[in-house]
Amino acid sequence: MPAEQRGLGLVFQSYALWPHRTVQDNVAYGLKLRGVAADEIKTRVAKALEQIGLGHLAARYPHQLSGGQQQRVALARALVYEPPVILLDEPLSNLDAKLREEARAWLRQLITSLGLSALCVTHDQVEAMALADRIILLNGGVVEQEGTPTELYTAPRSLFAAEFMGSNSQLNGTLASRQGGQAEIEVEGQRLRGVDRGSAAPGAAATGVIRLEAVRVDGASGGNGLTMTLATQMYLGERWEVVFTRGATTVRAYAHAPLAEGEHHVEFPPDALWIF
Amino acid sequence: MRFGWYRFLVIAVAAVAVLAPLVLVFYQSFLDAPFFQPVTHFSLEAYSFILSESDFWDAFVTTLLIGAGMTAIAVPLGAILAFLIVRTDLPGRSWLEPVILVPIFVSAIVLAFGYVVALGPVGIFSIMVKSWIGVVPWNIYSLASIAIVAGLMHVPHVYLYTAAALRGLGTDLEEAARVIGANPWRVAIHVSLPMVMPAILFAAVLVFFLGFELFGIPLVLGDPQGILVLSTYLYKLTNLLGVPSYQLMAVVVVAIVVVTLPLIYLQRRLLRQSQRYVSMRGKGQRAAPLRLGNWRWPAFAFIALWFFVTVVLPIAGITLRSFVVTWGEGVKLTEVLTLDHYRALLNFPNIERGILNTLAIGTIGGAFAVVGYTLVALAIHRWNSGWVRFVDYIVMLPRAMPGIVAGLALLWVFLFFKPISPLRATLVSLWLAYTIVWFAYGMRLISGTLLQVAPELEEAARTVGASEARVMRDVSVPLIRYGMIASWLLIFLIFVREYSTGIYLLGPGTEVIGSLLVSLWGTGDVDLVSALSVINVAMIGIGLAIAVRLGVRLHA
Amino acid sequence: MVRFTTAALAAALAVAFGIPSVTQVQAQVPQGYPADYSKIVDAAKKEGKVVVYSTTDSASANALIQDFRKLYPGVTVEYSDLNSTELYNRFIAEAASGSGTGDVTWSSAMDLQVKLAADGYALTYDSPEIPSLPKWAVFKNQAFGTTYEPITFVYNKRLVPAEDVPQSHADFVKLLNAKPDFYKGKITAYDPERSGVGYLFVNQDVANWPQAWDLFKAFGKESIKLYTSAGAMMERVTSGEHLVAYGIFGSYALSRSHKDPNLGIVMPKDYTLVTSRVASISSKAKNPNAAKLFLDYILSKRGQEIIANKAELYSLRSDVTGEATLKKVEELIGDKARPVPINADLLEALNQTKRLAFLKKWQAAMKGQ
Repeated sequence: MPAEQRGLGLVFQSYALWPHRTVQDNVAYGLKLRGVAADEIKTRVAKALEQIGLGHLAARYPHQLSGGQQQRVALARALVYEPPVILLDEPLSNLDAKLREEARAWLRQLITSLGLSALCVTHDQVEAMALADRIILLNGGVVEQEGTPTELYTAPRSLFAAEFMGSNSQLNGTLASRQGGQAEIEVEGQRLRGVDRGSAAPGAAATGVIRLEAVRVDGASGGNGLTMTLATQMYLGERWEVVFTRGATTVRAYAHAPLAEGEHHVEFPPDALWIF
Repeated sequence: MRFGWYRFLVIAVAAVAVLAPLVLVFYQSFLDAPFFQPVTHFSLEAYSFILSESDFWDAFVTTLLIGAGMTAIAVPLGAILAFLIVRTDLPGRSWLEPVILVPIFVSAIVLAFGYVVALGPVGIFSIMVKSWIGVVPWNIYSLASIAIVAGLMHVPHVYLYTAAALRGLGTDLEEAARVIGANPWRVAIHVSLPMVMPAILFAAVLVFFLGFELFGIPLVLGDPQGILVLSTYLYKLTNLLGVPSYQLMAVVVVAIVVVTLPLIYLQRRLLRQSQRYVSMRGKGQRAAPLRLGNWRWPAFAFIALWFFVTVVLPIAGITLRSFVVTWGEGVKLTEVLTLDHYRALLNFPNIERGILNTLAIGTIGGAFAVVGYTLVALAIHRWNSGWVRFVDYIVMLPRAMPGIVAGLALLWVFLFFKPISPLRATLVSLWLAYTIVWFAYGMRLISGTLLQVAPELEEAARTVGASEARVMRDVSVPLIRYGMIASWLLIFLIFVREYSTGIYLLGPGTEVIGSLLVSLWGTGDVDLVSALSVINVAMIGIGLAIAVRLGVRLHA
Repeated sequence: MVRFTTAALAAALAVAFGIPSVTQVQAQVPQGYPADYSKIVDAAKKEGKVVVYSTTDSASANALIQDFRKLYPGVTVEYSDLNSTELYNRFIAEAASGSGTGDVTWSSAMDLQVKLAADGYALTYDSPEIPSLPKWAVFKNQAFGTTYEPITFVYNKRLVPAEDVPQSHADFVKLLNAKPDFYKGKITAYDPERSGVGYLFVNQDVANWPQAWDLFKAFGKESIKLYTSAGAMMERVTSGEHLVAYGIFGSYALSRSHKDPNLGIVMPKDYTLVTSRVASISSKAKNPNAAKLFLDYILSKRGQEIIANKAELYSLRSDVTGEATLKKVEELIGDKARPVPINADLLEALNQTKRLAFLKKWQAAMKGQ
């Protein structure tokens, strides 16, 4: 079906606002094409611009707007004719980091308050989790996993899904055993217990994945850890990111305070370590 | 769906306009008499005659040599010029660009004759040099000179393509090379120009191709030594048998077309590649010009030298000629100065009409031509279809017919295709002829600007609900309006200097300056020819000045 | 255009008010013409215009056209100047298509004009001027010579020593043999291979002078430079790039020499070829009567006076005086003028086999053989 007959709303990554038309005309164009009467166009455009908080900029040209404002106009253009679904193509990727967080919150609020059906394409997992009610994770065009943000984050079904969401450390080793939803992986000569997520037979290569925030470095041993050497640590403001190595294995974790140099016990809680 | 019809309609009209004269010529090549005579027979005699003519093969080889020579000169010069103007902090680069294009807009016959006055055996500069060193160290009537002059004059073509490609490239690569210590020349030769190589090669093929229809330069400079190229050989052919033999001329055109087709094919391949390269461009980064440092003024001097040799010398020659009674060896120019030629021009019948017609065909005709080119460009815009290839071919084909044949073939079309016959005696026929012959040039201008319209602007309109036709009307065309104005100006400049195509279509009331020039040249009135040429050049100069003033971006 | 409309209006008024138009028109019948010529004039006025295809540039022809308008205010001249090949190409294509073409063709390519007549493109017309024309200038009352243009040598007065200037064809041969180095590459002529008039000239030389080939061979040895236009040649002679041009229309040379004192002109004393611009009325003319008026006018004494003294194309009538006239030419060279007769012999020049053979010989001569 030709694009113009699909009746969808689409917000482009680059916004694709027509530079030769004012904000008003950009937004009004979809209505004009649908043969809406002039005065109705006026009120509907005004309403749409009001919704996105740019009512006062209707007479401007796109190049006179900031990136965030342009993005909103693009959104207004897509929703003014009330399409059943709005497609957002990487809507936030052209904004700088600070603006992006604001826009994210604003977008989520707008979508929920207007009750829009929005389909948002993004490479940014944080953006996806923040915006979405449901996430469909695609890998090379094939659905990897589908579910609420919480499901995807806490219960990834595949290595790809586990790795894609959140920040992770990887432990490469061989599968030692699997039994009743539990599995053991041998890493650097140590066996570690974790949640069984794979299908490999014991003795095959396996990968353990754990979220950074789940790794414990407070020295307390739960019997499921490795003794590792502190390689480096970075101050992130509200916490420290610490990096440990042992043999070929590198593990990252968060700490609340700087650690002393030398060896530390790094604990991997079994329910937070997924073995694929 | 309706847009599909539009596409085919436009392509059909363009194809008929281009192919009608060409088909006539092909048809003629297989006959033994003019096709419009009551009795004609199918015959291959014309082919066997031409192919056994040693003059034809000589002219063919000469054409290839000149084509190769001018390509070898125009391509490196044009590429370096483009690099200097687009990428560096060369002094005056903003106003240099229109100046560089000047050779495209000045009639080749005028320039060539200017060279005779300036650099001929007794030319003004030749005599000067002779008084210093005792001899004139050059001979402008040689094959090499023709190739050099033609090469210098085609530098702008290479410039246009290379500059467009360079503009699409990010500057980071060049900066990286600069940072590790490469001087600007090394940057140009090792980084920038290799990046746009497909565009340069494309331009090289084009210049070689234009070598086949070169006429004015070999006519004037090749005359004394009897150097023939294919287009001047055609001239000879009209006389060889006393009565013009159309089938023989047609065979030569067929030969040129046969050489041309693989060139067009090559060009298409190169163009596809160059677009692939250009699509690598970053997101609208404003490039900081590369600093030339100590090279700034030498580079400027290099451009100035090229401009002096290619434009200033011949135009100075023709201008000087228009103010003197005689010139040459043993003449004190101060004693022969005169304004008589311009006075004579005032009394010249139809001169105002000629100038007015020339302006009209340039401005109004140019505008309509741009509209026509835009219609065709839109028809194939963002279309994935074999028809686009077809259009690419028909766009280039008119250039394969040298002016004198194209003019005759168009006369035939107007005479024997009755619906348009009434237009023959009007400027419309002339306009149509010009528009067809400059099809390739105009299309390049328009589709160049169209390609600069970001595809998502058009896609956005479609998702909002606009049909293809609406998208063209509401988005594509408004977005290229400045490009269209620039194209209009460029077409104006071309139409003002054009004449050979129209020679058979001109009549009382539809004279243009070009045709007046040709008829005066024939009867030996060089005084008036030079005065009229100066006026023609002045018109073009004013056009260019307006362009610069309006800030028209000539690269469109 | 305005003039035409007024005239047409006047004619319409004349008809409307029943004014006897005979008196008005008869006043316009030139002296010595039969009285029924007024019918032609009337018909011509109805036609209103005459379309002329000519090789004479409009600057030269302007005076003629202006005067013709004065004589016949009701007839506009639509004048197109073309080169001789273009004229021929355009005329036969237009004639074949049945659309409008030149009512009068007037060309310096004598052979092509005779060919048009021989091919039936010319109207037979018993012009009242025929008795005043030389016999050689009229072909079957279809093609008419209109000028008497001697073919001259043109030289650079500044650079050619006075004693060198060749006064005859024989002198030319002697000069080239005597000073081969001085004149090497300094002689110029029309190229018979690329130019129709060039072919005509050398072909006529051979017909008129047994030693012609000696001269051509001498040209070859001197690396003569061959051109396709008189302008290119005279320009190079005046500048000194070349010194002597062989075979230039006296008309072009004369008007150029008036402006440029450096050019000298010689009418060779042993024989001087004389060519003529040939005019015909098209058998397909849409305005045959206006065409007749125009043809008669350029052949008439009044028209020839202008041809001689304004256009400087050399009059062929013996009753016209001035610098560019048959009379003046005869004064200069006596009975040595050799007009190229306008007859079927000219068609031989268009015979493909003969022409190619002749050109082959010419090419050999250019190599000095």
